[in-house]
Amino acid sequence: MGRNTIRIVPPVLAGVIVLALPLAVRNPTYLHILVLLYLYAYLTTSWNLVGGFAGVLPLGHAAFVGIGAYTSTVLSLQYGISPWIGMIIGGILATIAGVIIGLPTFKMRGAYFALATIAFAEGLRVVVENIDNLGPFRLNGPRGLQIPPLKTGLLNFMFATKEPYYYIILFMLAGVLLLTYVISRSKLGHYLVAGGEEPEAAMALGVNVARAKLTAMAISSFLTAFAGTFWAQFTLYIHPKSVMSLDISFEIAFIALIGGRGSIAGPVLGALLLRPVSDFSRIYFGDKLPGLHLIIFGVVLILVMLYQPRGLQEPLTRAYRSITKKFLGHAEAA
Amino acid sequence: MRILELKDVNKSFGGLQAVENFNLSIEEGEILGLIGPNGAGKSTVFNCIAGVYPPTAGEIYFKGENITREKPWNLCRKGLARTFQIVKPFSSRTGLYNVTVGAFATTDKRAEAERRALEMLHHLHIDDIKDMRAGNLTIAHRKRLEIARALATQPKLLLLDEVMAGLRPTEVDEMVKIIKGLRDNGVTIFVIEHIMRAIMALSDRVAVLHFGRKIAEGTPKEVASDERVIKAYLGDEYGTA
Repeated sequence: MGRNTIRIVPPVLAGVIVLALPLAVRNPTYLHILVLLYLYAYLTTSWNLVGGFAGVLPLGHAAFVGIGAYTSTVLSLQYGISPWIGMIIGGILATIAGVIIGLPTFKMRGAYFALATIAFAEGLRVVVENIDNLGPFRLNGPRGLQIPPLKTGLLNFMFATKEPYYYIILFMLAGVLLLTYVISRSKLGHYLVAGGEEPEAAMALGVNVARAKLTAMAISSFLTAFAGTFWAQFTLYIHPKSVMSLDISFEIAFIALIGGRGSIAGPVLGALLLRPVSDFSRIYFGDKLPGLHLIIFGVVLILVMLYQPRGLQEPLTRAYRSITKKFLGHAEAA
Repeated sequence: MRILELKDVNKSFGGLQAVENFNLSIEEGEILGLIGPNGAGKSTVFNCIAGVYPPTAGEIYFKGENITREKPWNLCRKGLARTFQIVKPFSSRTGLYNVTVGAFATTDKRAEAERRALEMLHHLHIDDIKDMRAGNLTIAHRKRLEIARALATQPKLLLLDEVMAGLRPTEVDEMVKIIKGLRDNGVTIFVIEHIMRAIMALSDRVAVLHFGRKIAEGTPKEVASDERVIKAYLGDEYGTA
């Protein structure tokens, strides 16, 4: 075997495993946990385009999840439009919202930007919670919207079993990872990193920092809204607390910070580590100690920030490299 | 041809008049030195030219075009690049990555940008920092990285803000050689510097700033023997030496 053949073995193996996983995991609860794991990996990867590469800390991405979920759900309930089309429309609306938030706030630094995004997302949630109708669209206030599980099938984005959802979110995740990889190597990726680390130097080198951040925000909010539609079709019931709550924004940030912002593997690693903690603590301690997972997240975050401020992806990538190197060494000797 | 012209440039911060009625022009292919005591307003002049903030009054022309209120990134695309007195590398990234950001100013393709970035690293004799994290570099390397990055944008005029401060004497001599090489390749240089030996060896002309006002301008020799300059900046020892 040559060097390159061995190098592609681990990723191919990982791909085969995730594709075959539903064959081994028959229990719907575990499959549900896996779907949520991928969903959060997807959300965090989308968030990472702004929160990681552009070096700001948006804490209002739940707003885009909500816009995506409500748009596709209202369109399919009231007008019979396929959620796939609603997903695109939701993405466009979220992009517009993202740009509107980004325009005035990207000039703010650090905590001020984070606070402004929280305010926007919370404001939107309170509005949705307190109105039943937005013009001709029925939002149903705090009671939320139920999607009757009548017509299953790919076209309706509705399935009786969890496996199709598993594959859909898996491909969405693969797609967004590929996009992140392409962007990180592009001019936009370089400009985001430069503008995030040293804005003044970046501007002097021809980087329109505000425009680069706004572009990233547009892409990020567009993709985040897709997760909202997926969430709505997966649970078939949405309400402001479930798709627009601050908890979603915070969990995304936790995953990103612990996994490693600004890297491609970070959000996936973070989701891999934190989602099981979140789900199992809810299953086993949900009645006695609700919110235990947030305490655990907090402790883990403190430890990671103290000892690995760039996130866990850095030591793990190093370990992975040294292991593959060892194998490559053997292969060459043979 | 005049590449840069400053007409009656004024800049005040609140009640402080940092630069007052400053007039200056630079010919294409020239190396112009700007000297003066600390706080004389040298970096303020650079910041006005480079678009960090607009002058309070006055006009700035670059290649005949009025650029007084132009944004830094647009100026860079027009061919005006600068370095910072306090170097600002993208610390978490490699030397190559830093220079590639600059090279993207004139191309959208990564392969082309990286190729040019490697050329610039080679040009400044810092090929070996290509894979090193910029935050881990020595000050001499950081200063050169700063120049390489600015050069990668393919400027016509380069503003160098104290690129020799903190360097050892041998490193200063190397830097003088490098900057002269840049001029020979067609880049006009406007340089702020405190190291007199370097400024004398480099400059075709020198302007002296004192409390925001230009008190002298001429060849290095003329300026060095100017009474006011000796009194304000160089000190009596320099005059008698």
